[in-house]
Amino acid sequence: MTPVVFLPALPELFLALASLGLLLIGVLAAPERTAKGIPLLGALALAVTLALVIQAPAGRAEAFYGMFVTDGFAVFAEALVLLAAIATLLAGLRFNAWQGIDRFELPVLVLLSVTGMLAMITANDLISFYIGLELQSLPLYVLAAFKRDSARSTEAGLKYFVLSALSSGLLLFGASLLYGFSAGTSYEAIGHALVQPDAMTAIGAVIGLVFLLAGVAFKLSAAPFHMWTPDVYEGSPTSVTAFFAVGPKVAALAVFARLAFGPFSGLAAAWHDVAWLLCVASLVVGGFAAINQTNLKRMMAYSSISHVGFALMGLAAGTEEGLRGMLVYLGVYTFMNLGTFVVLLGLGRDGAIAESLSDLAGLSKTRPGAALALTIFFLSLAGLPPTAGVFAKMFVLLPALHAGMPGLAILGIVMSAVACFYYLRVVKVMYFDEPGLPLDADVASGTQQAIFALAACVVLFLCVIPGPFLSIAGAAAHTLFP
Amino acid sequence: MSSLNYLGEYLPIFVFLVIALAFGVVAIAGSWLAAKQKPDAVKLAAYECGFEAFDDARRKFDVRFYLVSILFIIFDLEVAFLFPWAISLSKIGLYGFWSMMLFLAVLTVGFIYEWKKGALEWE
Amino acid sequence: MSLPVAIVFLPLIAAAMTGLFGRSLGDKLSQLITCLALLAAAALSLFVFQDAVLAHHTQSIVLLRWIDTGPMSVSWGIRVDSLSAVMMLVVTVVSAMVHVYSVGYMAHDKSIPRFMSYLSLFTFAMLMLVTADNFVQLFFGWEGVGLASYLLIGFWFDRPSANAAAIKAFVVNRVGDLGFMLGIFAIFVLFGTFDFTPVFAAAPQMVGKTMAFLSWHPDALTVTGILLLIGAMGKSAQLGLHTWLPDAMEGPTPVSALIHAATMVTAGVFMLCRLSPLLEYAPVVLNTVVVVGATTAIFAATIGLAQTDIKRVIAYSTCSQLGYMFFAAGVSAYPAAMFHLTTHAFFKALLFLAAGSVIHALGGEQDMRKMGGLWKLIPITYALMWIGNLALAGIYPFAGFYSKDIIVDAAYAAGSSFGYYAFILGVAAAFLTSFYSWRLLFMTFHGKARMDAHRLSHVHEAPPVMLVPLFVLALGAIFAGYLGYESFVGAGQAAFWGPSILILPIHQALANAEHLSWMVTHVTLIVGVLGIALAWVFYVVAPGLPGQVAGTFALLYRLFLNKWYVDELYHAVLTRPVGILARWLWKGGDQLVIDGLTTDIPVAATRALSIQFSRLETGYIFHYAYAMLFGVVGLVSWYLVVRP
Repeated sequence: MTPVVFLPALPELFLALASLGLLLIGVLAAPERTAKGIPLLGALALAVTLALVIQAPAGRAEAFYGMFVTDGFAVFAEALVLLAAIATLLAGLRFNAWQGIDRFELPVLVLLSVTGMLAMITANDLISFYIGLELQSLPLYVLAAFKRDSARSTEAGLKYFVLSALSSGLLLFGASLLYGFSAGTSYEAIGHALVQPDAMTAIGAVIGLVFLLAGVAFKLSAAPFHMWTPDVYEGSPTSVTAFFAVGPKVAALAVFARLAFGPFSGLAAAWHDVAWLLCVASLVVGGFAAINQTNLKRMMAYSSISHVGFALMGLAAGTEEGLRGMLVYLGVYTFMNLGTFVVLLGLGRDGAIAESLSDLAGLSKTRPGAALALTIFFLSLAGLPPTAGVFAKMFVLLPALHAGMPGLAILGIVMSAVACFYYLRVVKVMYFDEPGLPLDADVASGTQQAIFALAACVVLFLCVIPGPFLSIAGAAAHTLFP
Repeated sequence: MSSLNYLGEYLPIFVFLVIALAFGVVAIAGSWLAAKQKPDAVKLAAYECGFEAFDDARRKFDVRFYLVSILFIIFDLEVAFLFPWAISLSKIGLYGFWSMMLFLAVLTVGFIYEWKKGALEWE
Repeated sequence: MSLPVAIVFLPLIAAAMTGLFGRSLGDKLSQLITCLALLAAAALSLFVFQDAVLAHHTQSIVLLRWIDTGPMSVSWGIRVDSLSAVMMLVVTVVSAMVHVYSVGYMAHDKSIPRFMSYLSLFTFAMLMLVTADNFVQLFFGWEGVGLASYLLIGFWFDRPSANAAAIKAFVVNRVGDLGFMLGIFAIFVLFGTFDFTPVFAAAPQMVGKTMAFLSWHPDALTVTGILLLIGAMGKSAQLGLHTWLPDAMEGPTPVSALIHAATMVTAGVFMLCRLSPLLEYAPVVLNTVVVVGATTAIFAATIGLAQTDIKRVIAYSTCSQLGYMFFAAGVSAYPAAMFHLTTHAFFKALLFLAAGSVIHALGGEQDMRKMGGLWKLIPITYALMWIGNLALAGIYPFAGFYSKDIIVDAAYAAGSSFGYYAFILGVAAAFLTSFYSWRLLFMTFHGKARMDAHRLSHVHEAPPVMLVPLFVLALGAIFAGYLGYESFVGAGQAAFWGPSILILPIHQALANAEHLSWMVTHVTLIVGVLGIALAWVFYVVAPGLPGQVAGTFALLYRLFLNKWYVDELYHAVLTRPVGILARWLWKGGDQLVIDGLTTDIPVAATRALSIQFSRLETGYIFHYAYAMLFGVVGLVSWYLVVRP
């Protein structure tokens, strides 16, 4: 028997052990020390994991008898997830204390969920993928309902749990079909069986693929599997929503891409259609429904749906260029979305979070820095120059054009014009409306300001020196095209 | 011939069934023969997790019942994993052994957590 | 950093400093910064002039790559040869004088830093124009001076007439610019480059080539030249596109002196001279230039006879003098055109600034009918006005004598029918020029004082800060012709201009002008003196005479007074129909059709869609689950039904 290889999975193993360790520390140490200590230690553990991920030797490496694989693509996606998790943990410190949810379980759950995401990204087998997916989701249910005495929070957790269970069912059904038609669960085995499928296998595998990708699309919150998103984003504590908005999406898109260019490359026409159908639905639903929202978290939920549509556009192109575009988009999305939520984390009024549009009235006078940063993020989300958003959109629209899908690109442009309305409306409210009641001073923290200032700088100046970022994304995309 | 062989593979299950049935019958019959019979309404009612079998579904009950049962199920499933592991231990080698040790360690961490949190105490 | 670069960018730096930080710098500091920058630039220009013209050191400095897209590449460059060195000297010296003068003239204005900043900005753009190394940069400078001109004409933006004049100047110039741009495009199509050097080198090979435009195949160089000429006509206010120049007098008087007399309006002349290596091969264009220039010279002069606004008279005189320069260029006497450009810059700036001094003395009065009898009150201005007038009328030995005389002579010497046309009109215009110049002088300074007592009691001589620049310009108006004659157009001209101007051997108008009869060479002087005499009779000896003459030739007088009705014609033929069309397109086309189809309907649809989509979000978990299942079923059906 060949000895087991586990070194390539070192970051994931470390994070898993670290989260268990933190759980023990949290429960054994004095409660007054864990409220701040555990999140900080958690962020430290994530940072160490990030270092391990980045420092890993380049190239493709498998572990656990081929159940696990790491490569440049995985490193890129993992780095984004870890960055997002670190930022949400640090930025949420003050907010969680203020909301009374600064229990040590929260960071531990975030760590566990991140472990699941990393496992998903690096899975090379349907079974390890599913374990990763569930490990990601289970803590998220708890996190969504973390504010136990809030009806909306518990409702969010329950909704997410029930619908997620349904999606897991769909996904497992798809996986079992694929196993049935290809006699294997590893990506290599499935891919091998689907290279030259006979008629029966082709139909069965396509149905399996659709169910499997439907499960992934649920995690992505791509329409029409998006219905949970607005309710869960609105109900969850903002610090959790911030994590929701980035981590699971990056992981799910990474899985989508790995499946598409790996085992499903024989069924290119099939996943291709799934990608662009989801893309169209997400763009339209996300873009139009956001207009009608007055709650910022709900608006951001629809906004994230529409951005998933854009990221899928790069994937739908089905080329290396398109995949690079998707990664660029994800990278930019991570920064601008996190930045937005971190700004929102610092806004509260009379002990309640300020999440409605009118709460932002006159923010430019009361919190000029936050208003400026939010303006930069919204301009970027809307895809207006000179922010990184326009740059990211360009990198997904061009591949779609090159791949012969002008209709998709035109829809993308039209929908970003529609999106301008609801982003710029917020900017207008911040700058031209008179301030209402004063905001609470004790929610905002220097950490938040540092994080959103950093994100704003990235968003604003990425266009100036895009070279390094582009080449990293390009190299990551290239690893899926041997 | 082949169909007979096919059925033959189910023989152990059949044996299990017979033993299970016999065990049930022997237990009930033994208690019926040996013990004193003093039936009343409560004793004759169907057993339903400690609740009235036919009652309003919207009754309040203590959530701790569920906490205990969930915790029970976790360790119950642990045993379900331990059995096949124990049988195939000779074939899966050191890798298999340490895998289960790791699994048990994770469970132990969970156990410590629930203990310290007071989940095992009724009051 | 080399000197030419410093000259070009000093004004820009000054403009940026005063324009951006004027409010904190304050009036005094802004004036100091811009004046010092310009004086320094003028001083440096002398060195560059010495280096480039006298030491024949031609250079081309490439600053940086500007546009680099496949077949097209354009650089920022500074070309220093005789032509641009002369222009740099003229521009910086006159501009420096005007800057200093403005310190006094604008002393009571509210926004001095803005004014100084615009002036410096203009100077930068003008220097960019004259030092351009390629057509694109030339166009940049061209538009830059247009912008500065627009800003300065409308400097007093609270006056509706100033705003209207600024817009008019801009729009009329756009017509010329369109021709110019098309000309530049034609250059690129023909030569595949924008740089002067390769274009000029390749020009001889382009003779006889045609361009295809629809089914029409005109001569390529002719088309290009005519298009570029339209640009020059717009900027230099030649007949047809001249209407903006008189209105531009709404700007402050220093602006009129600098932009609308000495420098910007001569950009067209400069361009014709700069493009001599091209135009020499396009005889049709040259002849057109002659006709346009000569006609403008007489046309503007006739209007000048009847105007009563002191600045407008000088403005029409500018227009007329630009006509001289044009037809000089048209008969290939480019050096003569440049010579007149230079002398004209001095004496016309002098005239304008002296007129400004009069206006300053009278507290803003510009109508000559309300002046008179001022010569005792402001004797220095009076004397300066005399010098300017003598130079303008071409009286020996003032600057204008040398430059105007050589132009008229060259036209005669060209020997062609176009040349004779220009000669006759040029002589006639010279007569009219001296007549209206002294009409202006006599009406302003002689006779009875016609202003009210209050104004009269406040008349005062200008402060030294205004007079000193006038003296400098007066020196130029007196001596520039005598000093420059030999090298600009005389025996030394070939060495002076070097390769910057090309004159083909068959176009020897300037060389032949040396050998003309006494009658021809002195005709301008004679008509000049006659004009003065006639003006003296009309406005000093017999003041009733002008009225009688105007009554006798009522039709002609009305024609001159109303500027040949060109504005009215344009209004009837162009402005009104275009206005009606624009209104119709706005109300009917834009508001009804475009807004309706592209804005109102999509807005309503978006609103409705957004409401529908948010209505999907019911909050019921089973609805959500249904949506997911519908999604899966839909996707599966897509494969099984739509795309089997």
